[in-house]
Amino acid sequence: MKKQPEDRGSELRALFFESANELLQALNEAGLELEARPTDEEVIRSIRRAVHTLKGDSAACGFHKLSEIAHELEDVLSPQVGKAKGAGLAEIVLAAADTFEAMLSSYQREVEPPPVEGLRAMIRGLLAPSEKNSAEQAVAASDEAQFDWSEYERLMISEALHRGETVYNVALRIDSNSVMRAAAFQLIRNVLHGCGTVIALRPEDNAAAATVEIVEAALASNSPEAQLRQRCKIPSIVSEVWMERATAADSADHELLGELLEAQAEKIAAATADHDEANAASKSANPNSVAATIAESILRVDAARIDAVMNLVGELIIGKSMLHRALTEFDKTHSRDPLRAKMADALAFQSRVLDELHKSVLKIRMVPVEQLFRRFPRVVRDVAKHCGKDVALEITGQNTDLDKGILDALAEPLTHIVRNAVDHGVEPADERLAAQKPVRGTVSLRAYHQGTQFVLEIKDDGRGIDLDRVRKHAVKTGLMKQTDVDRLPESEVLNLIFEPGFTTASEVTEVSGRGVGMDVVRTVLDRLKGTVHVFTQLGKGTTIQLRAPLTLASIQTLLFRVGGRLFAVPLSSVVEITRVTDMEIYRVDQREVLRLRDQILTLVRLNKLDRIHAVETPEKKKKNFVIVIGAAERRFGLLVDQMVGEEELVIKALPGELVASDLVSGASILGDGTVVLILNVPAVLSRLSRATPLGAIA
Amino acid sequence: MEKDLQVVGFRIGNETFGVRIGSVREIVRVTEITTVPNAPDNIEGVINLRGKIIPVMDLRKRFGHGEIVTDKKNRILVVELDSKLLGLIVNSASEVLKIPPSEIEPPGTVFADGESSYVTGVGKLNGRLIILLDISKLLHRPEFKRLEEAAEIVATVS
Repeated sequence: MKKQPEDRGSELRALFFESANELLQALNEAGLELEARPTDEEVIRSIRRAVHTLKGDSAACGFHKLSEIAHELEDVLSPQVGKAKGAGLAEIVLAAADTFEAMLSSYQREVEPPPVEGLRAMIRGLLAPSEKNSAEQAVAASDEAQFDWSEYERLMISEALHRGETVYNVALRIDSNSVMRAAAFQLIRNVLHGCGTVIALRPEDNAAAATVEIVEAALASNSPEAQLRQRCKIPSIVSEVWMERATAADSADHELLGELLEAQAEKIAAATADHDEANAASKSANPNSVAATIAESILRVDAARIDAVMNLVGELIIGKSMLHRALTEFDKTHSRDPLRAKMADALAFQSRVLDELHKSVLKIRMVPVEQLFRRFPRVVRDVAKHCGKDVALEITGQNTDLDKGILDALAEPLTHIVRNAVDHGVEPADERLAAQKPVRGTVSLRAYHQGTQFVLEIKDDGRGIDLDRVRKHAVKTGLMKQTDVDRLPESEVLNLIFEPGFTTASEVTEVSGRGVGMDVVRTVLDRLKGTVHVFTQLGKGTTIQLRAPLTLASIQTLLFRVGGRLFAVPLSSVVEITRVTDMEIYRVDQREVLRLRDQILTLVRLNKLDRIHAVETPEKKKKNFVIVIGAAERRFGLLVDQMVGEEELVIKALPGELVASDLVSGASILGDGTVVLILNVPAVLSRLSRATPLGAIA
Repeated sequence: MEKDLQVVGFRIGNETFGVRIGSVREIVRVTEITTVPNAPDNIEGVINLRGKIIPVMDLRKRFGHGEIVTDKKNRILVVELDSKLLGLIVNSASEVLKIPPSEIEPPGTVFADGESSYVTGVGKLNGRLIILLDISKLLHRPEFKRLEEAAEIVATVS
């Protein structure tokens, strides 16, 4: 095990977790590939490299439990085992990826990592029978040799290379007939020292040599390779010699996090010293080397720093509107002042630059949605396997950009939906055959931009949602009365699946519908000020569409006043604005409704909200504004006193836990310093309609 | 000799209170307060403090003064708690008081258990009694507990 001082700091660990997650992702992808082609040696080698790097890095960070189990896994990752065990190996790789992930997350939270016995047992189970094979087949030394040099030793190797010396990785198998292992080792050591400079040696001392079969060494020597082979082949002690030239790029492959810079230097040195060799090394499948060259132009930055810049830009925008206001006032009093034009020019210039700056900062936070999509091949595979189905996953639009914060928030709902699509959406094979569909079901993920919105569609070609069964289920679980259900239009029946109480585990499958966690989906989308839409066709499949704003930093809003208070709602939720007289408002079941063209619209008054009523204006007006708001297929009319206008607001979170309110999703400051609250529309609507007798529908 | 305790003195009703000078960021005039629906009773709303949105609590209500008269002398005491800012509405605030440690009595003798949690002592200065407060304790009441959960939602908005 490589040891490193623990005080390398949290920065190193942060880097480790980041790169470890990438390794896990690679491991998952390779595991799936291995499942498809169990004997592909290249895949096995790439898995082995990933595990090896993980082992080294985790040991360097002091996570020995992880590095030990990774080491054990490494032992079974050979083409021989792949041939013998086929898909069994892939199963272990995937299980290992899960175990590593669990361990990493506990290391990250600084708690004791979970037990790894399950994985260990799997590895042992795989290894035990195949060891017999290897005894018979006499596995070549090269497959067992690790050449697992420590950081220091690798540095020495690269320095020797840099000096122009030739370095060999040598593996010698001690003859199994040799009785005195320690003596044999001593002899080997003497010979190696006679051949040139021994940079590294495994095992390190005679005592440890008693149990090993293979001696590994890194040897710097000027003698030709054939001559060295000859000298190392000590009769009746060494049964097999394996030798290869070490390259600098090779050591860069096993790079530790702490010496990224040194690696760059080594690579340049290697490239100039021996161009062919460097080429060969990168060809010898080093996926990191490509990434490493790209990495030079990419900075890893703490998200908090970007947020800080984002905040400052937000302040600047507020500052801009303050200036703008001041100029307008100045205009009124000194309209003929030549200074006025100068200031207006300066302001126009400044706002143009500011606009660019704002866009650039927003762009920094954007990441391709692929980061989110890449985990789904694994999810689909696992769920499909679990329910004995054959399901293909199609992904399009993975390059679509999205704010990192939104992307992270979408991960959970998306997982729910995809799992549901495979579990409940796609039918079992016999049912599909009967319906004349291909046996293999398809789930597709599609992402694209539409205006200032990000759209994500999850589509399956399964059985669709049976609305009648949804209705029945709603009645059965007491969510609604039969008479109410019958009155509901189809679009609203679909909405029932978003109700928190709508599903219980055993009944989900019975309803054949989506339901598990659909309320979670809606909650998250509400929080993001996005929307969820469901389209379904019985027997043909279901599409669920998630819409979210591209960024959380600013938002297009509609400003209005109720009872003297200023509020804003996201413009994306506004369907239309209309004016009504009091005469047009009817009371039905103690609910105020409005007839708008052919539709009956439920009216809500904000001043019914807690605390707002205090400033209610009692006087009756002839005409009121009604903002028609769409929330999850339903429409409501929001009665307001005065329309203020449309404005792009820079969102600030409400401070601290003191004023947190589910009815308000954020606040912003206008140019004149006024604080305006941005309403969380779905929460407000459900609060206000819950107060009415028929509220259960909402 | 021990150093004097420096506190910012303010008045609520007839009493004079004091908070450690280190926890007070500034004192501002009462500006327009934006009410937040569904916020706890003690929180009046939020104000704009030079581009920052901070919550405001009416200390007069918090201390159970039923009748609240608004006048020009009212101030908002901006205090810092766990690196977050909070505004406290008080009747008036102006002076910095220096109280010698020898003149500070522990609270136990004066207050009942419930209130003494945020009262750290009573200082005597020129014949006046000054009730010394620990601002952070003012917030530690069951009604604020549930809000910590809600804070998570707000955090994702930012």
